[in-house]
Amino acid sequence: MNRLETRGVLLFLALAALAPLVITDQFFIHVMVMVFFYAILASSLNLTVGFVGELSLGHAAFLGIGAYASAILSTEYGLPALACIPVAGLLAALAGLVIGLITLHLEGHFFVLITLAFAEVLRLIVNNWIEVTRGPLGFSSIPPPRLSIGGHVLMDFSSRVQFYYLALAVLAVTIGVVLLYAQSAFRVGAVAVRENRRLAKAVGIDPFRQALLTFVIGAFLAGMAGSFYAHYITFVGPEVFGFSFMVTMLMMVALGGKGTVLGPLLGALLIGVALEYLRFINEIRLSVFGILLILVTMYLPQGAIGLLAWRRMRKAGIVKVSAVTR
Amino acid sequence: MLETALQFILNGIVTGCFYALVAVGLTLVFGMMGVVNFAQGEFFVLGGMLAYVATVQLGLPFYAAIPAVLAIMWVVGMVVDYVLLRPMRDAHMLSTAMVTIGLSIFLLNTMLLVFGAEPKNILSGFSSKPIFMGGLLITQSRLFTIVISVVAIIAVHLLIAKTRVGRAMRAVFQQKEAAALVGIPIDRIYRFTFALGTTLAALSGILLGSVFVASLSTAELTTVKAFVVVILGGMGSFAGAIVGGLLLGLVESLWGGFVSTGYMDVIGFALVIVLLLFRPRGLFGMAEARER
Repeated sequence: MNRLETRGVLLFLALAALAPLVITDQFFIHVMVMVFFYAILASSLNLTVGFVGELSLGHAAFLGIGAYASAILSTEYGLPALACIPVAGLLAALAGLVIGLITLHLEGHFFVLITLAFAEVLRLIVNNWIEVTRGPLGFSSIPPPRLSIGGHVLMDFSSRVQFYYLALAVLAVTIGVVLLYAQSAFRVGAVAVRENRRLAKAVGIDPFRQALLTFVIGAFLAGMAGSFYAHYITFVGPEVFGFSFMVTMLMMVALGGKGTVLGPLLGALLIGVALEYLRFINEIRLSVFGILLILVTMYLPQGAIGLLAWRRMRKAGIVKVSAVTR
Repeated sequence: MLETALQFILNGIVTGCFYALVAVGLTLVFGMMGVVNFAQGEFFVLGGMLAYVATVQLGLPFYAAIPAVLAIMWVVGMVVDYVLLRPMRDAHMLSTAMVTIGLSIFLLNTMLLVFGAEPKNILSGFSSKPIFMGGLLITQSRLFTIVISVVAIIAVHLLIAKTRVGRAMRAVFQQKEAAALVGIPIDRIYRFTFALGTTLAALSGILLGSVFVASLSTAELTTVKAFVVVILGGMGSFAGAIVGGLLLGLVESLWGGFVSTGYMDVIGFALVIVLLLFRPRGLFGMAEARER
């Protein structure tokens, strides 16, 4: 974590907090709400993909669990939406613990495939377990959040701007968690495992525990994102478990720069804006995404943030190639 | 009761043939090149779509369409390997996986643009009149599928076991540095293997399309199921992929027939998750699990 990055993150948050004061365009506000939602997701995925170095293709499962938990708790049990968000996060974390305990013993390819299998199993269960999940119909008219003190309603989330700040608040919590993680001894352990598993074990780091805790934190954050999504979109169906969310988050992490704090935010901003403003090329959008993912992986493995860092280093006259090979 | 069970077993064998062909391609590419090909399901669907173009739009007879489509898919495999995989030979496994994921997204959505979302019929020219074998019934196209699959699997086995290319493939599989040292052009062996895997997936797609329909919506599930088969059979194991494919086909068919069709697709995943809980190295113990 360098100073450039901390400043970048703070700048991002400050600009985001001030933006609605200047720009009141409703569509812009909506786009930014989605960008924040994606930024939470991408940051949470990045914990496992970027810091531990394992490719999880099942991350959409935690998004889905969070979204469904929130949908069921608020429509069937009347739990207030603002309470749903942390509860959904905890439920997703619990699922993350179970899935992580099973999958994280597996290496590389196995881990990739089994996490994907878990997401598929959950999607199929949600599609078929109609008594609880309402099957393919999903949940509609999920109530919006409401903030009141002593019967006095402070915020009723009837306007988009209030959702904007709610999303920004969840994103700020996410960034806080990720920053804490990135500066902890824990992350050093995770990176040590990523770079050289055997050496890390030799100095007393337990790779499994490192990976599991990271995985569970990521699940928690993704669950909160899912809950927010449920209340903002007001509809949740089995597609939240689908591969397209997974692909979008993965793109954001890859394009922004994996293993950094700022990278997923940048990726979410670039792709989130492109997604919403390029609706008119909706049809070829995903084809372009596919090509973009290939090109970024082959020619820009460090993502956009790698490009920035590299230019800075070149300006400072430091020619250093080996440190950025991963 | 017994006849119903036998009928489900027969249906399971047909489905198992589709799985086995796709999985053999996947496992060869993985074992030889260490590449997890996430686009295998898209190659499978592309085969079916091209067969639709050949038989319906161009009016080619089915027996001529099959080799034509396979030849095209062979070239597709060579090009993909040359353009996308060759530059990534020394890259980390995750990077290569991301490239094949990108390819799968590109192929699926481009096919959606070109062919549309609705399922396509392939004109195979077989009559739909079933053949009765004792109390069991099988359609001509299903019988054809079983025969072609068996022929293809035996052909690939002979190719690997008896030919010069096959010997080179086995050498690369065992030790690629040593293979390169004795003068085997490993880059060309890789390209050959990948093209072979692509073609086998396409063959499976053509056969499935002639029995049912060719549909884009099957691509993702096919990839994931092929992975399930490969894990069941042990990564990189040729025989394992065939056994695993037939096993998955049978279990799905019996489960769907006797228990519930809704959860049919879950069975494979459940099987793999349970298997990995107890045997993290896969059914045949071929692959390495993470050292604790």
